[in-house]
Amino acid sequence: MTAKVTQGTTTRFITYWPYVSILTVLMLVLSLVHAILLGMGKPLTSMTLQVVEGEPTALPVMPLKPEVMGALRIDAVAQIPENRWVTYEIQLRDAQGQLLATGIKQAWKEAGTWAEDGESGSWEEADLWAGLDVRPIQEETVTIGVEVLEYSNTAGQEINEPVPIRLTVRSGVVDHRYLLVGLGGTLILSIIAVMGVSASGTLALSKTIGDSDLIARSVVGGANSLVKMKVNIKSDETTPRSLDLHLSLKNSAGEVIYTHTYPVQLSFQREKGRVKGATGYVQDFFLLEPRTSYGFYVEVYPDQSVDSTSLYLRDGVSTLRPVSAVQIQAL
Amino acid sequence: MYQILLALAAVGVMTSSIFAAYTQTSALQLRTEHQSLHWPRHGTRMSGRYSGGRRAWEPLPIRNGYQTFQGGGPGSGK
Repeated sequence: MTAKVTQGTTTRFITYWPYVSILTVLMLVLSLVHAILLGMGKPLTSMTLQVVEGEPTALPVMPLKPEVMGALRIDAVAQIPENRWVTYEIQLRDAQGQLLATGIKQAWKEAGTWAEDGESGSWEEADLWAGLDVRPIQEETVTIGVEVLEYSNTAGQEINEPVPIRLTVRSGVVDHRYLLVGLGGTLILSIIAVMGVSASGTLALSKTIGDSDLIARSVVGGANSLVKMKVNIKSDETTPRSLDLHLSLKNSAGEVIYTHTYPVQLSFQREKGRVKGATGYVQDFFLLEPRTSYGFYVEVYPDQSVDSTSLYLRDGVSTLRPVSAVQIQAL
Repeated sequence: MYQILLALAAVGVMTSSIFAAYTQTSALQLRTEHQSLHWPRHGTRMSGRYSGGRRAWEPLPIRNGYQTFQGGGPGSGK
């Protein structure tokens, strides 16, 4: 042979950028754990008020001052019987009793029965919670309260009863919804980054034949260019348990400079317990010097069951981890 | 090159979501006219706004418009 062949592990082509994306996912997971464990803030008060329509009802006065982190969170839940609707408002008043902020909620709770195709059952649905997060820009003395604007049954008849509404107030609450959105975003970016590595470099060869023997030639390699070879094999229902792939690499003069036999691990497609076919692949990395035309001769053994063979060569690829590469240098 | 852009984008998304979560940009900023970043919780809508320089809360007319509210759920004819 007119070339020196060595096999070794290379770290030269590792790209670290996808790890930055993965790190942001981990950071957001940690933030989310922190926000759920510690970002729930400090409970200030939790009280159930009996609220009569048209009469604002409030909790005791509390001081409020600007904070760097978190917000004052007011959660409310109307405790009403089935088939009632209530429109209520969370209200903040300042020291003078003037409205400072209001948030309105149309809450309802409905239940009933259903019957369809001889089956029947009951259903119950409700939307009773309201929430308001506020951040002050100056020191305030605030009164948090609720007012019922309308209370009726499903028939639209007004109900003159007090509505029990439980108010819960916490300070320094972190809004973890942003972290969920951020987590989704960074996860998508990380998946693209990781998938991008296996599709890195330029596609130098892409050839598929409906046979077991494939010959292709392309200009690839060079001292700073990692070449990735991938062979996909499809085998029919008469497939053996395993196949072998024999590779011969030829230089620009047509001389064989490297031969290797790879075992092909197959994954089988089954239908009603019987093997319908199998697919397998072989992947390897090469460092070819000099950059010139190389011929790839691929043969699959045994060849009777082989439906198709595809060869893909990528030139100038990067990797996520150290990879084992075949280094071939012309003498 | 695009790997660098992806990493920068991920760092940007991470930084802005952690910042937004911990500083609660979604909360109602008291006495502030612009509430473009407000993100309601539990379907609770603002029923007022801060007007002009007075920074006083001005209730919106929608507060009085609930005579037609028919609740939700399967019975609402959606």
